[in-house]
Amino acid sequence: MCGIVGYAGRRNALPILLDGLKRLEYRGYDSAGVAIVGSGLQVVKDKGFIANLEAQLPPLIGSTGFAHTRWATHGAPSKVNAHPHIDCTGKIALAHNGIIENYAALREKLESRGHKFVSQTDTESLVHLIESYYEGNLEEATRKALHDARGSYAILAIHADEPGKVVGARNESPLVVGVGPDENFLASDVPALLRYTDRVLYVMDREMVVITPNDVSIQDMEGKPIHRDPQRITWSLEDAEKGGFDHFMLKEIHEAPKAIHETLLGRLANLEVDGFLSQGVTSVKLVACGTSYHAALVGKYVFEEIARIPASAELASEYRYSQGPSERPLVILISQSGETADTLGAAREARRRGSKTLCISNVVGSSLTRETDKTIYTRAGIEIGVAATKTFIAQLVALYLIALKLGQDRGALGYDELDRLKDQLRSLPRAAQYVLDRADEIRNLAKKYGNARDVFYIGRHANYPVALEGALKLKEISYIHAEAYAAGELKHGPLALVTPATPVIAVAVQDPTYEKMRSNIGEVSARGSPVLAIGTEGDKELPKFVDDVFEVPNLPWVLSPVPVSVALQLFAYEVAKMHDCPIDKPRNLAKSVTVE
Amino acid sequence: MKAVILAAGEGARMGPFTASVPKVMIPVGNRPLLESTVQALVENGVRDLVLVVGYRRERIQSHFQDGKAFHARITYVTQTKQLGTAHAVAEARPHLDGPFLVLNGSNLVDGRFVEDLLGSGGKPAVLITQSERPRSYGVATVEGDRLVAITEKPVEMISNLINTGAYALDERIFEEIDRLAKDGKHDLPSAVSALAQRTPVLAIRTEGTWVDALYPWDLLRLNATALKGTHEVRSGTIEPAVTIRGRVSIGDGCVIRSGAYLQGPLSLGPGCEIGPNAVLLPSTSLGKNVRIGAHTSVANSILMDDVILGPASVVQDGVIGSGVVARAGLLAAAGAGDVQIEGEWHAVPQLGALIGEDVEIANGVSVAPGTIINERARIESGARLRGTIPSGAVVL
Repeated sequence: MCGIVGYAGRRNALPILLDGLKRLEYRGYDSAGVAIVGSGLQVVKDKGFIANLEAQLPPLIGSTGFAHTRWATHGAPSKVNAHPHIDCTGKIALAHNGIIENYAALREKLESRGHKFVSQTDTESLVHLIESYYEGNLEEATRKALHDARGSYAILAIHADEPGKVVGARNESPLVVGVGPDENFLASDVPALLRYTDRVLYVMDREMVVITPNDVSIQDMEGKPIHRDPQRITWSLEDAEKGGFDHFMLKEIHEAPKAIHETLLGRLANLEVDGFLSQGVTSVKLVACGTSYHAALVGKYVFEEIARIPASAELASEYRYSQGPSERPLVILISQSGETADTLGAAREARRRGSKTLCISNVVGSSLTRETDKTIYTRAGIEIGVAATKTFIAQLVALYLIALKLGQDRGALGYDELDRLKDQLRSLPRAAQYVLDRADEIRNLAKKYGNARDVFYIGRHANYPVALEGALKLKEISYIHAEAYAAGELKHGPLALVTPATPVIAVAVQDPTYEKMRSNIGEVSARGSPVLAIGTEGDKELPKFVDDVFEVPNLPWVLSPVPVSVALQLFAYEVAKMHDCPIDKPRNLAKSVTVE
Repeated sequence: MKAVILAAGEGARMGPFTASVPKVMIPVGNRPLLESTVQALVENGVRDLVLVVGYRRERIQSHFQDGKAFHARITYVTQTKQLGTAHAVAEARPHLDGPFLVLNGSNLVDGRFVEDLLGSGGKPAVLITQSERPRSYGVATVEGDRLVAITEKPVEMISNLINTGAYALDERIFEEIDRLAKDGKHDLPSAVSALAQRTPVLAIRTEGTWVDALYPWDLLRLNATALKGTHEVRSGTIEPAVTIRGRVSIGDGCVIRSGAYLQGPLSLGPGCEIGPNAVLLPSTSLGKNVRIGAHTSVANSILMDDVILGPASVVQDGVIGSGVVARAGLLAAAGAGDVQIEGEWHAVPQLGALIGEDVEIANGVSVAPGTIINERARIESGARLRGTIPSGAVVL
């Protein structure tokens, strides 16, 4: 998972590339580099954040080039492994996002022919391969090289003897073209382009693209031209600024009520959810990775409760390699970016098995939306913080809407029940706001509990996945070891780890397992663990059993994951802030994972 | 030229409506008060804005973000202690150079108002206007077009010209602010009065709009003023046999059920659902995601985001905070009422109910004119309310 941006135009490329690169930093940031064709090919790269590269850049002159920010998969983060990579002649530069699977074989073959390799990356084999095919035309050579390479990639290449031309290609890693007057752009993601143009076109899998200052040509792997018109992007960079908040993550947590509003907008009154039809659906399988998988797990409980339909959740990386049993559930794939490699693979597998597929994504036109039969968009707006916050909340809301629709169509819900649930959904923005209005309380709790080395989260039922997500947030951004358990499982092992030095965060809202949860809390507090409970407003009993309570509004249990998640997001944020962690760019992580 | 907008205050006299939002974020005409100030400045080419924020600043920041959506560039300065308006301006000092404007974020203003202020041509000035209740404000003593002094809430009648709290200033004001701060005075009018002793300060009478809300019921006047500029917008789904008269703005994703009668000026935010045979009368604003039940009638009221009004209810001249849920048959009609705000009684000739955020009201509740129900109170079926219901109270 990396970010790339390319430019061919009349202006000096360097400032444009660096600006674009900074907007892609969320995709990875352990090293960065830039290649520019001016008077010859000039390449500068180094380990570390983009600012680190910028600080040591000589003034590179030239109006063709590209830049790359890397998130290491093959080869450690280092200067030599940073992109761009160059060939033996020093004329071709290549940046690559993805994985070349057969790089070892390619490398062996190329080395035997005398090519000199300097890095441990899979990418370097590709640039030498292009060199070996080069006969004066970069796109020809690239095409031939890609016929030999196997794997996923978005690549950009330039040649010293062909100024004004950037060649790109895509297979399973994102690449978009930005179309401007007298200049054209290539990038992994739209935010890198928005300052310069709002006209973009998406490059599809197994396609190549050549940009020059005046032309964009897309072609297939046989070199046949493909015509595609640019689309206009309606959102703007303003979404990408912090607006007075210390971090994007905090800004985005505070946007939860808005994300809920937008996701409900126009869908609730008549339950028209982007044309989703529930006919023939007899069971549901939810498939996703990471935070989206936690939404999927909540979804299982939501579907069973509201729609009375069998539902299960599975990790995309497991589902796609498992044996498909004979049933044909509706497969719901969840991915914020819509570019998650494993989820894309799972979508293809689900279709191969003959299931209908539905995806929940936050990015219009993303790869996943093209791989599935139907898309329901979460309308959370762009999310920059690497830790998903408002988009997780919006995913939950989308799941409620689908469940309501299924419940209505299957007759699982009476008219009055449906109406009551709709009103309760309308109250969700307020429930999230209630938590946000009490951020000070959470800050104080973070001070009290945030100095531990290990933290355990427990929950049951629909709030078990919420505990998993709370622990993930804490791990991601504060680097504190956190584990979540279904509270009933404590006595099957984890209790051995519980000591007075391990605080326990317990989700204990009013739900069908509340009483059980209280005995589970008893199990840990008996071993001396300080317990912070997330409870329901007005619960007079809970404070007697635990050290601290943070209250969320009284909602039907099936909706409680929304305010509880907001509370746990804020808690993780406050702990990370207290420890001065780089909250928006945690180490080793990237926003959307487009490698397997 | 840059402008400093004062938006740090809580607005305690606004009763339950500032329980979790600052005064500048109270919606009138379906947008936060502060938006009118921002828009008026931008219309006049003043795009570089310094917002001094404090109380519940996250609400302001999440709405305005970096200002691009409003064609402005916004810098936020946090006033940690709400000492006074002069202190607030001093907090913005590092972001200022040369002449600048200062405006109060909680007034409803228009482009003409800012244009008048810019008329000083960069010289120090204060905008003044006529008022029917000068004793509630700072009264300006003026000689010709020059300000002599501003007297806060005078006991004796000086004149009916009051300070609108909008100024054109330059760095000289900081000397006065620093000097007064040593005496423990932190209000901007005193600093401007002191400045007027040393150097000419123009007193400009504005021809533009300037409406101030001191008390919650003033919001209805501001709402009506703001709704005068309503543009007709039809969005969402409008079922057959809906009557729409006058200027009515219907936001994205709204559903208007059959038989509803909508008389403008009205503004409906996105995602509202208006039940069958509901009646909406002027001048009413509904925020986002509001649901109005069948046969319910609402007149001259503000309903903030996420309000649910059940069937067969009546709401007149009322202000209803975000997230209020009222089941069937709420009766909150208007009449003359005595209202207590911060210990003081006010006789208001025409007022309905003032209901704070997240109040829950069960079936068949009747609310006397001028009743305040503070935030998060819970009212059980059949209750009859008058006076002030404390926040979080349960009324059986």
